Amino acid sequence: MFQRTPGGLEINRRNFMFLTGAGAAATFLASCGVGGGTTEGADRALKAVFSQPITDLDPHAANTAVDEASLIAKYLIFDTLVRRNGTEIVPSLATEWKQADPTTWVFTLRDDVSFHDGTPLTAEDVVQSLKRIQSVTSAQTPLWAPVLSAEATGTSTVTFKTDGPLGTLPVNLTLLFIVPAASANSPDFFANPVGSGPYTVASFVPSSSLKLKRSDQYWGDAGKVADIEMPYIAETSSAITSLSTGEVDLLWPVPADQVKEVEAIGDATVERIPSYVYYFNWFNCSRPPFTDANVRRAMWHALDVETIVSTLYGEGAEVMTAPIPSTVFGYAKQEPYRHDPDLARKLLKEAGMADGFSTSLMWFAGTGPSATELAQAMISDWAKIGVKVEAQSIEKADWLQRLNTLDWDMDLQTNTVTTGDADFTLGRLYTSAANRLGYSNQELDAVLDKAHSIAEQPEREKLYAEACKTIWDEAAGIFPASIVTAYGRRKSLEGFVPVASNQPDLSRISLNAK
Amino acid sequence: MKTFLAKRIWQTLILIFGAITIVFIVLRAIPGDPALLMVGANATPAEVDQVRIDMGLNEPLWIQYFQHLWEVVQGDFGESWRLGGDALAITLSRLPATLLLAFYAFVLTVALGVPLGIYCSRRPGTIADRIVSVMSLTGQALPAFWVGIMLILVFSRWLNLVPAVPDGTFKTSILPAFTLALPFIGWLARLVRNGALEEIGKDYVRTAKAKGLAPGVIFYVHVMRNTLVPIVTALGFILGNFIADAVIIENVFSWPGIGSLMVDSITNRDYAIAEATVIAITVAYVIINLAVDLLYFAVDPRLTPETSS
Repeated sequence: MFQRTPGGLEINRRNFMFLTGAGAAATFLASCGVGGGTTEGADRALKAVFSQPITDLDPHAANTAVDEASLIAKYLIFDTLVRRNGTEIVPSLATEWKQADPTTWVFTLRDDVSFHDGTPLTAEDVVQSLKRIQSVTSAQTPLWAPVLSAEATGTSTVTFKTDGPLGTLPVNLTLLFIVPAASANSPDFFANPVGSGPYTVASFVPSSSLKLKRSDQYWGDAGKVADIEMPYIAETSSAITSLSTGEVDLLWPVPADQVKEVEAIGDATVERIPSYVYYFNWFNCSRPPFTDANVRRAMWHALDVETIVSTLYGEGAEVMTAPIPSTVFGYAKQEPYRHDPDLARKLLKEAGMADGFSTSLMWFAGTGPSATELAQAMISDWAKIGVKVEAQSIEKADWLQRLNTLDWDMDLQTNTVTTGDADFTLGRLYTSAANRLGYSNQELDAVLDKAHSIAEQPEREKLYAEACKTIWDEAAGIFPASIVTAYGRRKSLEGFVPVASNQPDLSRISLNAK
Repeated sequence: MKTFLAKRIWQTLILIFGAITIVFIVLRAIPGDPALLMVGANATPAEVDQVRIDMGLNEPLWIQYFQHLWEVVQGDFGESWRLGGDALAITLSRLPATLLLAFYAFVLTVALGVPLGIYCSRRPGTIADRIVSVMSLTGQALPAFWVGIMLILVFSRWLNLVPAVPDGTFKTSILPAFTLALPFIGWLARLVRNGALEEIGKDYVRTAKAKGLAPGVIFYVHVMRNTLVPIVTALGFILGNFIADAVIIENVFSWPGIGSLMVDSITNRDYAIAEATVIAITVAYVIINLAVDLLYFAVDPRLTPETSS
């Protein structure tokens, strides 16, 4: 039964079938060896699941400069000069720092720190790390643009020069990860990076899984567990299932409508903390009728913010009382806009729009929890004062493009105060130069500029209080809700501390054997 | 055979060229700017422009297109802005997981679909036959992402039999493989059943019966052999679909394959990865089709490349 083809190629049917089958079987057998099972018992890894994937471990990469998911990992692998503890800045690689003159900061480093490969961490590594992050354009660029230079003025002292007084330098330095100067620019370095932090990278598949191993030579308190795994689980329901079956130890943030499910799991519990994440509904202040502050205020008075927030989020969010969350440095409580449709109509009438007007609201569904529901609730409240709002639920990429070109009437989105300091949002978004929402106010510019430059924290706090009041009273946007992060965790975890930044310190957590 | 292969390879190249072009056009036609996604909502226009220049996005589109074509010919799909690395290497590193899942689903489909089809063809019109028929239609009608979520709910959450997320063990591939296979098990069963029934009515079967051959011999040796050609076609189609359907299933099950990578890259306008994944899936599809065509000659010796093409 041979099929002889003109080209001389012989295909024997049985052989063909046999080879196909053998190939398939070989693939199957080989595949059975892929990966290892989970280890059981006390020495198993801590499995922590965050809602976003870790895409990159290069701490100076443009795309992940302020990305929460990768920051969680970067804090475990690398070190920074200083770290944040609540609203305080505390020593890390730097033991002390002082402002020698208004534009000069001197940081003294620990002298007992080595990278995971054994090379000592020196002032030169700090200088090169700064140069590295300054060389790319990223969401961190505004933080480093005012820094003219960093110089190693000793093996363990670094002197920073700024182009003007920069009070936020210590805060900003909580985001500057120190990498080894000698090897950081080799192309494959960040597939398996070498840092000086409490953990080293065992394996990393971008946007899929990260496995970390405790470093034996960490200069500070050694990590509690030997291994940490951070798998990415796209489906929240699958992640909750994994928490209930014990495959996962920590899961955050748990969406408000699924908190009950987690609480119903016998071995799990939910811990909440107000986060740095909040919703705002910006007005395009350069577009009529939102050029008129009274129209903007009318829009706010039309909303029953309290009912909307409590119905949609329950304990998952708080009604905001300032244009930044209460957890952020620089927060100052403001007088709430009460729900008063009559006042709203009156304000519209005074603005010459007794019959209301038509406008639009854009958002993308993934911006935050229940974004679409929040938008719809607001739109229906606005309809009651005669304002017809076209709902524009668009894709993220489209949304970003329109946002940046000011091609919108109203924009609903979440925002994160990554550094926990008002400078990061108020200072960057509301200046006339930034022109993010068509709002321009030179007095506000001056206040924000001063708060950005001086170093005295109480004075800065006062200035941001002033800025909060202006933005709030002028209703540059509506600030409905700040998000409360719900952490779902196994009850057996010890040492877990929920944090506002969504970046808990996983190195402090230990697993209690079941 | 040589001319046949040459012809097929030529067709394949044209197909891949078409895929590259379509993906390039579609990705750039939809709104959204990778530079913006990269630096985020807080960036100033000047910063965004700088990134655009760095990424080569401010060149005219046709220049970008020809540059891209030239690079792809050299096997260079560019760097992924999101995952930081060579796009093709990242894509290929995700391919085995997808192929593995497709293979499991394929084994499952054949192992269940063929016996079911044979079973029904031997007792057409009975209640068992109808039940299989209804179930196969139901299986095809249910949306895969829904089936996946339901399976997780029942087998992981309630019964706690298998983990909900893949951990590299065989156990965790059962649910995604079954979800992938479900619509095709019934489809294959019906195909086998109808094909066999059609053959059974033919003259040679009557002759065989008249010769006194045992019914089992007639069925498995003669009828099944003649039913094989359409089944092989179907199997190629099914395997191709398993790779394409991975786009949905992998996201439901957090399976670290090429499908979840592709969705992520398109959402984030990661052009390099999106193009590399589409091309990888296209090439896989084409190769499977070619294998099926070659398989024809093996299962039906009457066919030769000349008569079939």
